[in-house]
Amino acid sequence: MRSSARTINFTLNGRSVSVNVQPHHNVVEVLQAQFALFGARESCGQGLCGCCTVLVDGRPLSGCLYLAVFLDGTEVVTVESLAPTGKLDPVQQAFIECGAFQCGYCTPGFVLMTKALLEQTSDPDDEQIRDHLSGNLCRCGAYPEIVNAVKLAARKSKAGSTG
Amino acid sequence: MKAIKPQVGHQVGRSLPRLEAREKVTGRAEYTHLMQLPGMLQAKILRSTVAHGRIKSIDTTDAKKIPGVFGVYTSDDIQTVIPDPYYGPAFHDQPILAIGKVHFVGEPVAAVLAADPHIAEQATQRIIAEYEELPAIFDEVEAAENKVLVHEELKPAGTFADLKHLKGRKGTNIALDFRLRRGDVDKGFASAAHVFEHTFRTQKVLHLALEPYASIADYREDGVTIYSGAQSPSFVRTEIARLLSWPENRVRVKVPYLGGGYGGKLYIKMEALAVALSMLARRPVKVALTMEEQFYTITKHPSTFRIKSGIDKDGKIIARKCEVWWNGGAYADVGPRLTQKSGFTASGPYDIDNVSIDSYALYTNLTPAGALRGFGIPQLVWAYESHTDMIARALKRDPVDFRKQNLLHDGRPQATGTILKNAAIEKVLDRIAERLNWKKPFDRGQGVVRRGRGLAVALKAVISPTTSVAVVNVAADGSATLYCGTVDMGQGSDTAMAQMVGEVLDMPAESVRVVPRDTDVTPYDMGTLGSRSLFHMGHAVRLAAEEARDKIAALRRELGEPEGSNAPLGDLFRKKYGMQAGNIVGTGIYKPDYIPPDSSGLTTNATPFWMVAGSGVELEVDTETGHVRITRLINVADVGKPINPKIVETQLSGASLMQLGFSMFEKMHVDGGQITNASLADYKIPAIHDVPPVMENMTVDAVQDNGPFGAKGVGELATFGVSPAIANAIDDAIGVRLTELPMTAEAVLRGLYVKDNRPLGDD
Amino acid sequence: MTPFDLVEPASLKEAIALIDPDDPDVRPIAGGTALMLMMKAGVFRPTRLVSLRRLRNGLGQITSTMDGELKIGAMTPLTAIEHSSEVKRAAPVIARTMRRLANVRVRNVATIGGALAHADPHMDLPPVLIALGASVSIAGISSERSMTVEDLLTGYYETALAKNELITELRIPTQGNSQAVYFKVTAGSVDDWPALGLAAAIVSEGDTVRSVRLVVSAATSKPMRLTAAERALNGQIANEVHLKRVADIAAEEADIIADIRGSASYKRELLRVFTARTVRAAMEPRGAPH
Repeated sequence: MRSSARTINFTLNGRSVSVNVQPHHNVVEVLQAQFALFGARESCGQGLCGCCTVLVDGRPLSGCLYLAVFLDGTEVVTVESLAPTGKLDPVQQAFIECGAFQCGYCTPGFVLMTKALLEQTSDPDDEQIRDHLSGNLCRCGAYPEIVNAVKLAARKSKAGSTG
Repeated sequence: MKAIKPQVGHQVGRSLPRLEAREKVTGRAEYTHLMQLPGMLQAKILRSTVAHGRIKSIDTTDAKKIPGVFGVYTSDDIQTVIPDPYYGPAFHDQPILAIGKVHFVGEPVAAVLAADPHIAEQATQRIIAEYEELPAIFDEVEAAENKVLVHEELKPAGTFADLKHLKGRKGTNIALDFRLRRGDVDKGFASAAHVFEHTFRTQKVLHLALEPYASIADYREDGVTIYSGAQSPSFVRTEIARLLSWPENRVRVKVPYLGGGYGGKLYIKMEALAVALSMLARRPVKVALTMEEQFYTITKHPSTFRIKSGIDKDGKIIARKCEVWWNGGAYADVGPRLTQKSGFTASGPYDIDNVSIDSYALYTNLTPAGALRGFGIPQLVWAYESHTDMIARALKRDPVDFRKQNLLHDGRPQATGTILKNAAIEKVLDRIAERLNWKKPFDRGQGVVRRGRGLAVALKAVISPTTSVAVVNVAADGSATLYCGTVDMGQGSDTAMAQMVGEVLDMPAESVRVVPRDTDVTPYDMGTLGSRSLFHMGHAVRLAAEEARDKIAALRRELGEPEGSNAPLGDLFRKKYGMQAGNIVGTGIYKPDYIPPDSSGLTTNATPFWMVAGSGVELEVDTETGHVRITRLINVADVGKPINPKIVETQLSGASLMQLGFSMFEKMHVDGGQITNASLADYKIPAIHDVPPVMENMTVDAVQDNGPFGAKGVGELATFGVSPAIANAIDDAIGVRLTELPMTAEAVLRGLYVKDNRPLGDD
Repeated sequence: MTPFDLVEPASLKEAIALIDPDDPDVRPIAGGTALMLMMKAGVFRPTRLVSLRRLRNGLGQITSTMDGELKIGAMTPLTAIEHSSEVKRAAPVIARTMRRLANVRVRNVATIGGALAHADPHMDLPPVLIALGASVSIAGISSERSMTVEDLLTGYYETALAKNELITELRIPTQGNSQAVYFKVTAGSVDDWPALGLAAAIVSEGDTVRSVRLVVSAATSKPMRLTAAERALNGQIANEVHLKRVADIAAEEADIIADIRGSASYKRELLRVFTARTVRAAMEPRGAPH
């Protein structure tokens, strides 16, 4: 089966990168195989669980359903960008304080979705939080703690920006 | 020994955040499904398309020709390296790849290895397998009639004395039948003022951990290393050693974090296949399943439970007869254990003189069933708490009062004859009733939307006897490391164990390093299952820490330290060894006492502790559509004295939300053995909008006297009562009684229409 | 997934030319959410995909004309439509519908053109668009044409598009006094695919229905106008007795399909109940929540 590998260029967590990909490779495969970034992971494979969430040009999407070639010319952000020097992002701190995870497999997805939500709406209400996270699954059932974490993260981010 | 005033304060009872929190929120926690090893080949599996059939041929010629394919394997190849490739915790009945016959749709038949998983996947499409279809059986009650047989012969594992009598048995689908006889139920029914009999059913559902099953095996001539998301690494080690006819110490099992387990990742899942393929390829091999493939791996037992109770004129339950058929699927897995170990609590948390239980493990031509959070108890509670509630309503008794009249208390014998101790059943029931404002009038509404409330309480015994071993290692600078085989899959076991070490050694829990599971390092543990770890491993950890503590005290004395001195450990080591050198190691082994049941299923020591929990529910029913909206969900449990109250609370919450899915909408749809909804698109699990607006999770004030620091386990507790509490609330709201799960809107509406004498059509 | 060729034309004309109408293994890809699902499930194994990404700018605009007609480029992602103030003004039902449509990540990538071309009968937007009287512009190898969304969707995952035609634009006529609502009825988990979708666009004067479009989806092989129910409702006073009659007509006229989300009998009951609820909601004074 012939394929047409090509080089794509994009910004990954703030750095310019260039990588060779096959058209049939999805974003998750490329991030894992070429960049050793495992925060985004394929789980349901159908865009329904959010474990593969990445931000492309600021918008969250399902990496398992997005062809890697479509990343060309974009800005890509993964969960690994949030604590580059080890200091945790307010969203990550909030998740820890609220106990908003158990096995942790879905957690990077929830964290990134929360980042994206707070960029858009600095003080979301319960309904907005739930609507935004309706496509992120947690089989361990940490949803109540996650909602609390988003609200705490909103407060922390606000305090951070004015403090 | 004179008590030394703690320097750091109590570690047990603290709600500290999980020790591995940072790794999880930064996406750096390791999971097997994501692991890469140099030179690794990836396996893709060809699965059976028929529910029961003889394998006529498997043609791998075209598949092998695809560029990039390393090899294509069937059971013929497997048997060249593992001649007797059958495994399982209770029966050695499950082949690594199907041999001669397939027994369920989705059974692994062949495997392809390639460096590129896309190529491996493509190659599986080119394998041509032909089957001669055989009659298949899917229903558990029908299977017990033995008209259509799944297996020619039973293959119990030789290690279990109580299963020995089944070896070689033919002509049956009954893998195990457990019976319990206490008193005389027939006499009880004959003398009863009222007799009630109902039948309840539960459906096939499954774990669906977000990290699907994955194992990597790296086989070398002198040993094999297995990386696996395994809840029972010691079992994997002994079972693989058995398959290879090797001593245990040549099999190394390494377990990183698990992206969910819930009982699915127990015993052998993909480990044996990975090992066999690695042996054949002489390369590391990863077998990592997709979400869809989980539907063909392991599930929860569907069940049919016929329950009959005799009540005397004063409202006392004097006799209860239980018949339970467990649908175990094509391979036994741990089904026979469940059939017995959960079977004996089928009569519920009630004080009943005459009890008869028959619990049958059935083979059928479906995906095997095994352990899933609750281990059969949720299915039993579904039946007995619905049944008990129906009796109360029929007798026009308040459901709480009726339960209280019949409840078991400490000092009274459970059905097995084991006397209850530290089982705060009444406290749990009272707390649920209190939180539901049970004594206050409740407005059920008059319009289209009706309201109702209901509750349920339950108890569970812990699998017994089981052994846990732990080692605590104190280094020359005083820092402590814990080696124990309990697998942290999100339930916070590492944190709880660290708290116990910290409590004994008087150091902050955060300072204790809990090493990842590695059977070269972490000693034997029966498995992380059935809410046993907090108690069993907790004891082992406590004992190990106490031994280390005692050795440290001895060192102090040896070095002439004054009594009550708290000179830093580092100083002690330097004094003894001349530099920062040496270790102090403490070991703990714990196995509780146990007396196996006699031929009537009776024993005075069935379990070292009882699990007790219940749920209460308020809900609304849209009587035009059948939609149920749970407005309040209350979960109450007896966990003794919680080691980490915050983690306990989240375990109760999470378990109840999982059970909510099983109660209201989850179901594997099977059509002629084919699963028609094998994906998250068509099999829905609870998401954020399914969470009830008000949830309360709490423990009652209790102590487990024989528990480590007065504690016992929590993982499964909030699965027990959710389903019947909801059914009882629906009955309360609209007078419709559902006896099958799931309780979909359609099921509710059909119930309403039947009640109104205008049943819905069947199309 | 099997490997395939990916071409990225810079113009609509080039894109159309690259799609061989006789080769079912060559297809256009917009956002790709639907196509990726099919490819990963193995039901579609392309040899070539024609990416429409470079057409995003040209076909990704939302504009309204002087007379209030809304024009949405086919390559517009659903979230752009969801958050567009022009769309909110012209047809507020669309933003409301988007809240529960799939999830945010899908909406960020899926395009309106791609969604319509996919013709999944469970989708939320098609019945809404049909109720709004929407139409699409279609570009072919040498011609352009136009048709209503109702006519576009011809069957179960089937459209009236030729293999080498592309939707270029969605047009929503001015709604005037018409008020539209959409009910997504899920029978299992809250955010499941709907067992039944029902959209209504009604112009009412007090209790009287001046005009109505009623569209059922999800329970049928494609979104369908409930024309008999519409006729029974048109010009009538929508009181309880009459709504019950209309609901019965709707339940009878729809060709309901049973599946794992519900039996046909149950879905028929849902249709009966929700016909009344949907009409009532569409006749509420503007701004009332439903």
